[in-house]
Amino acid sequence: MAAVNTIIELEETQKYFPVTSGAILKKVTGQVKAVDGVSFKINEGETYSLVGESGCGKSTTAKMVLQVEKPTGGVIRFNGNDMNSFTREQRREYRASIQAVFQDPWSSLNPRMKVGNIIMEPLLANQEVPKGEIKERTEQLLRDVGLHSFQADYYPHEFSGGQRQRIAIARALSLQPKVIVLDEPVSALDVSIRAQIMNLLKQLQDQYGVSYLLIAHQLATVRYMSHHVGVMYLGKMVEEGLTKKVFDNPRHPYTRALIEASLPAHPDSQREGFMLEGEVPSPLNPPQGCSFHPRCPKPTKECAEGSMEMGLIEVEEGHRVDRCCVNCG
Amino acid sequence: MAQTPVLQVNNLKTHFFTRSGVVKAVDGVDFTLNAGETLGIVGESGSGKSMTALSIMGLVPQPAGKIVEGEILFNGDDLVKKTQAELQQIRGRDICMILQDPMTSLNPVFSVGNQVIETVKQSLAQTGETLKERAIELLHKVKIAAPESRIENFPHQMSGGMRQRVVGAIAIAGSPQILIADEATTSLDATIQYQYLELLKELQRDTGMAIIFITHDMGVVAKMCDRVAVMYAGKVAEIADVRDIFNNPQHPYTEALMKSVPNVEEDVEMLYAIEGQPPALDNLPAGCTFAPRCQYAFDKCEVQFPDIVQIGDDSNRHTATCWKLSEN
Repeated sequence: MAAVNTIIELEETQKYFPVTSGAILKKVTGQVKAVDGVSFKINEGETYSLVGESGCGKSTTAKMVLQVEKPTGGVIRFNGNDMNSFTREQRREYRASIQAVFQDPWSSLNPRMKVGNIIMEPLLANQEVPKGEIKERTEQLLRDVGLHSFQADYYPHEFSGGQRQRIAIARALSLQPKVIVLDEPVSALDVSIRAQIMNLLKQLQDQYGVSYLLIAHQLATVRYMSHHVGVMYLGKMVEEGLTKKVFDNPRHPYTRALIEASLPAHPDSQREGFMLEGEVPSPLNPPQGCSFHPRCPKPTKECAEGSMEMGLIEVEEGHRVDRCCVNCG
Repeated sequence: MAQTPVLQVNNLKTHFFTRSGVVKAVDGVDFTLNAGETLGIVGESGSGKSMTALSIMGLVPQPAGKIVEGEILFNGDDLVKKTQAELQQIRGRDICMILQDPMTSLNPVFSVGNQVIETVKQSLAQTGETLKERAIELLHKVKIAAPESRIENFPHQMSGGMRQRVVGAIAIAGSPQILIADEATTSLDATIQYQYLELLKELQRDTGMAIIFITHDMGVVAKMCDRVAVMYAGKVAEIADVRDIFNNPQHPYTEALMKSVPNVEEDVEMLYAIEGQPPALDNLPAGCTFAPRCQYAFDKCEVQFPDIVQIGDDSNRHTATCWKLSEN
């Protein structure tokens, strides 16, 4: 494989939210470690997926990449530059080169704006565009996402869910960004429409060379869409690597459970249930030691006491697993 | 498995009379449900799968909605002809329903114990401690840890998976013959969804109830169902045993649907995508409703809606509505 450029790199990135009590004199009584030291790289023109159950910190990670949340620790680099030391100009440039597509196309589009204006708004806010070019570029974007150029004058309510998601994708593409954050882009859509949108996203990736940071809970979607995948549990990355390697040879019991729990594609391919007991603990009060040990099939005394060294180790090229759980799966 | 139908739906039509015209949400649905069997109803939003369920429950939104034709035979009794008071005796006792969002189907200002007991009262003519015991037993059955203390909890003190378990406990309180699960696991996380589906299977084994699964997820169907009805624009496009649907889909819509779902176990370069959008229900195309998106459509498809075609012999109960099948 040719050398690929890393476009975004997270290194030990943290986001702790303070927990306060008291109505007037607020006291910080604790903290929620929403993201606790997460490291991964997004390569140019590739898709990186984050998976995990609700509350595992995948959305917070995406928000930090989008600069909606400021990390409380660690580094995020864009093209090798530390985001904390960005100048005003660099920050502006960064914001333009990263865009997002959200889950629900009913709430992410302004119902009072025409589709053409929705698509061009990011562009006009960020760049000087000659007046004559605006119409042409809108129409080009609409055609790229599989809509008709005359539909620029329509309002969002005149479109179905799948078409609205296409509009949201066109808006994200208007600035020709380097990275698009896709937060559950197909889970609100009908089954027969999902494949259309997934194929469109793949095709646009080839056409524009854009990278995706995909957040999804459906593993089949992740397998189809992504080059790399990171599995998160309670704010930590527990397994990470090339999608094929992680899916074919999951080492962490949580990854295994997630794959087993994803539903069969055929009634005859029923998996022998490797079922996890219990639920994700509250991040307000995470377990001592290895955060996975209460649900782990083979917990040892060290896991519970926290005397075990944590962190990811490489098990094969392009496949890293949490040190504590590498042999539990 | 006993082959006695507990539920037989014949030519059910539920229409909505709105200012902009008649919306044919359910337009001629037939199926049979045997005791202890699990039937999956799949289709996209607006295909009429939820309205079929609400019609069975006698809960079609009033005054716009109305069952205009057909019969729903529950153990031989036609539910369409029953009054609301009579249906009230059946609902919650013989036929129960689990909805998608447990936060909205539970009352936030009553403790879960209170809500379970309320249902138990309907079926048991007892009071006080016995009711509470029965409620704890039910919560135990749906595998809620420490039900004796959990019974005092309010819905907001529980996680989504646990809330859905409480809804399950309420649903099985009257030992129903039919349980309708309308997207019951869609809002749950993957590992929790798996636990919940396993739980429903176990409850079915214990009680012998029939389950209708309404879902858009083919994975849920593959995991849970014995038979599958594929709905499209208010009609059943194809109905068959689950293996026939997966191995030998006859209707072009079923076939396309099967090809468009990604698989967690294998790498696919490009997925098959069904072009176009499902039709608007107040403005259905003449002829076959799937014809505008169908790759096999020919002239006859655009003129007349196809008849129901029996696939193979009678015994495997596999039917589909498509001209392609009756032409050759």
